[in-house]
Amino acid sequence: MDFPFVTWYNYYIYQSLSCSAKGSEHPVQYKRTERAEHNGIIDDFVNFYYGYVESCEYGRCKIIMTKIDIYSGFLGAGKTTLIKKMISEGYQNQKLVLIENEFGEIGIDGGFLKDAGINITEMNSGCICCSLVGDFGKALEKVISEYHPDRVIIEPSGVGKLSDVVGAVKKVIGHDVELGYTVAVADAGKVKVYMKNFGEFYNNQIETASTIILSRTDAIAESKLNTALEMIREHNDKATVVTTPWTELTGEQLIQAMEGNASLAKDLADLEQEHHHNHDEHCGCGHDHEHHHDHDEHCCCGHDHEHHHDHDEHCGCGHDHEHHHDHDEHCGCGHDHEHHHDHDGHCCCGHDHEHHHADEVFSSWGGETTKKFTSEEISHALEELDAGEYGIVLRAKGIVAGVDGNWIHFDHVPGEADVRTGSASVIGRLCVIGSQLNEQAIAKLFGL
Amino acid sequence: MIEIPVYAFTGFLDSGKTKFIQETLEDERFNAGERTLLLVFEEGEEEFDFSTYPHKNVYLEVLNQETVTTKELTALVKKHKPERIVAELNGMQLVGDLYMRFPKEWVVAQEVMFADSTTIMTYNSNMRNLVMDKLMGAQMVVFNRLEKGQDIMPFHKLARAASRQIDILYDYIDGSTEFDEIEDPLPFDVNAPVVTIEDADYALWFRDVTEDPEKYNGKTVEFKAQVAMLRRDKNGMFAPGRFIMTCCVEDIQFCGLPCKWDDAKNLKPRSWVKVRAKVSAERHFLYKGDLGPVLTGITVVDAAPAVEEVCTF
Repeated sequence: MDFPFVTWYNYYIYQSLSCSAKGSEHPVQYKRTERAEHNGIIDDFVNFYYGYVESCEYGRCKIIMTKIDIYSGFLGAGKTTLIKKMISEGYQNQKLVLIENEFGEIGIDGGFLKDAGINITEMNSGCICCSLVGDFGKALEKVISEYHPDRVIIEPSGVGKLSDVVGAVKKVIGHDVELGYTVAVADAGKVKVYMKNFGEFYNNQIETASTIILSRTDAIAESKLNTALEMIREHNDKATVVTTPWTELTGEQLIQAMEGNASLAKDLADLEQEHHHNHDEHCGCGHDHEHHHDHDEHCCCGHDHEHHHDHDEHCGCGHDHEHHHDHDEHCGCGHDHEHHHDHDGHCCCGHDHEHHHADEVFSSWGGETTKKFTSEEISHALEELDAGEYGIVLRAKGIVAGVDGNWIHFDHVPGEADVRTGSASVIGRLCVIGSQLNEQAIAKLFGL
Repeated sequence: MIEIPVYAFTGFLDSGKTKFIQETLEDERFNAGERTLLLVFEEGEEEFDFSTYPHKNVYLEVLNQETVTTKELTALVKKHKPERIVAELNGMQLVGDLYMRFPKEWVVAQEVMFADSTTIMTYNSNMRNLVMDKLMGAQMVVFNRLEKGQDIMPFHKLARAASRQIDILYDYIDGSTEFDEIEDPLPFDVNAPVVTIEDADYALWFRDVTEDPEKYNGKTVEFKAQVAMLRRDKNGMFAPGRFIMTCCVEDIQFCGLPCKWDDAKNLKPRSWVKVRAKVSAERHFLYKGDLGPVLTGITVVDAAPAVEEVCTF
């Protein structure tokens, strides 16, 4: 279902029509309000589908949306190890199906999967000379209709292009199947030689992935890791890159990274918002803006939109949430609901958070780094920020790796720096906001 | 036209190619001062160090194997006037694709494959076509980074599945090396009055008879096959053979042998027959003028299809 000019970008309300059963999984016909953008024109319409119900309460059903996650990466990059970690720590309480099209050194043993309640499907076309497309699409459709999983995890052949796999998956995407995480796993020590010698398929994995997870980062020198990061950034400046050794990260943290919640852009947006709100501009919307980390499209109607699927909870705001997308019914919160769909974390304080760079007064600087620091270095750098050479610094915040193996968290407002140790982040990130910032000098100050 | 010998080194990244070439060029016995063009199609972790060569007329050129043209290669010969060429090939490309672009006067004198024993098996299960491509063309394969006492049979089988001729060298991490001298008895008796080939052994026999036709000269064989017609020789000739899969469904090929048989035109193409025939090593257009096995039919009778229609090694 690929329409060239149509962007499907919301899957919304599920209202069952023919459901009488309660409890366990069963098929149902349901109604869904969808929104599409066609040549810039936004349209809402209602569609009727047959789907599969995950749970059912009081006649309202939660339809199973299957997400398809792809873990690409060359042979020996550590895909299987990562998937194992994600299964045991990240994808908890989800019904999973694993499709493997690679025969690695480490197999995912049946017992482990059984314990975790996972179905495994091995694609028997073991080498790249056999094409993915035909059989693959069929196999995928089959597992979805057979198991109705929350997630299908695909481990494709390491010598294939990720975009080909994504293409094959997109053919299967429909009203109840969507593309989840597209991950590239790369051995940090080999990024350089692989890029140089493998050519297209390797670069394609890096370029197509929305999250790039580096493996064995603790086995190489910091400078080499940094070079690897730079090379990756040349091919993909949007993906979240994970450079922290996996043992220091939880599956949940990795999920957050894959969700795009651990990126510099997100940090900067959050920081700006926090900053604004810390300056007494309360918006009275009654909800806490610190929770912007969920990509949640907040509005001011006083109820939490966090869970798309929780549209069952009436909020008493007097209108049916099904109609959020109806642009004629304003809810009085003073801002246009059209923006609900930008994942920028809008709030209701009435000024535009969207383009921080368009802001004439504030500017921001952000950096990613694999560099290790000492607390003293950070404290010193933060003191320096107040010296005036760097512009008017209003706020600085970050998490970076410490030389002692701990992670350093810092939060700085002029004259007051808080430097402490805390949990690991997927990569070292620093943000500074202020006005007339001397970005080059700041980068140099932090050794970036 | 003066021929230029090419010494080709194949294998995947990090399999020890560069190190081997480096050591070879440091060796007076191999590097006695010939003008050598060193073509590098893969740049791994190891780097060439020219300072240790006994003679300095080694000229390094780094090229992209995927895109290099005959013209570029010819220009390099003009530039460096080499007496010989040493080439380090890219593991992720097919060797033959590059050879096709070699200038006419370049002659591959030797092709040696390097394989890291710690990764080659995984590579083989995931990109068997690339592994086979290298094994089938090489005169020698070196399996390195082996532990002393490690089971070498998997490597032996891997190499032998690709080629019966290839020399196999085991290179252990303690520095010792060992040639493979394991004999693989053929599953059929070549000295029997009638060499009988079981259905499952056709691929093995086909390879053996095409690689060494003289061994079978004058012998009588019996095997089951499917009928194929020869385009250029429909009268009195057909080609009994089987579909053989080397790697996967994509590479299934029909492998037949020319067979003289008066009644050939009455055979039904693709039907199954049991063939008893005498083998002779002859020059035939199918072998492009080289010596190859040509059969002379003694009996050709209808037969039931083999259980596994596609034959494997």
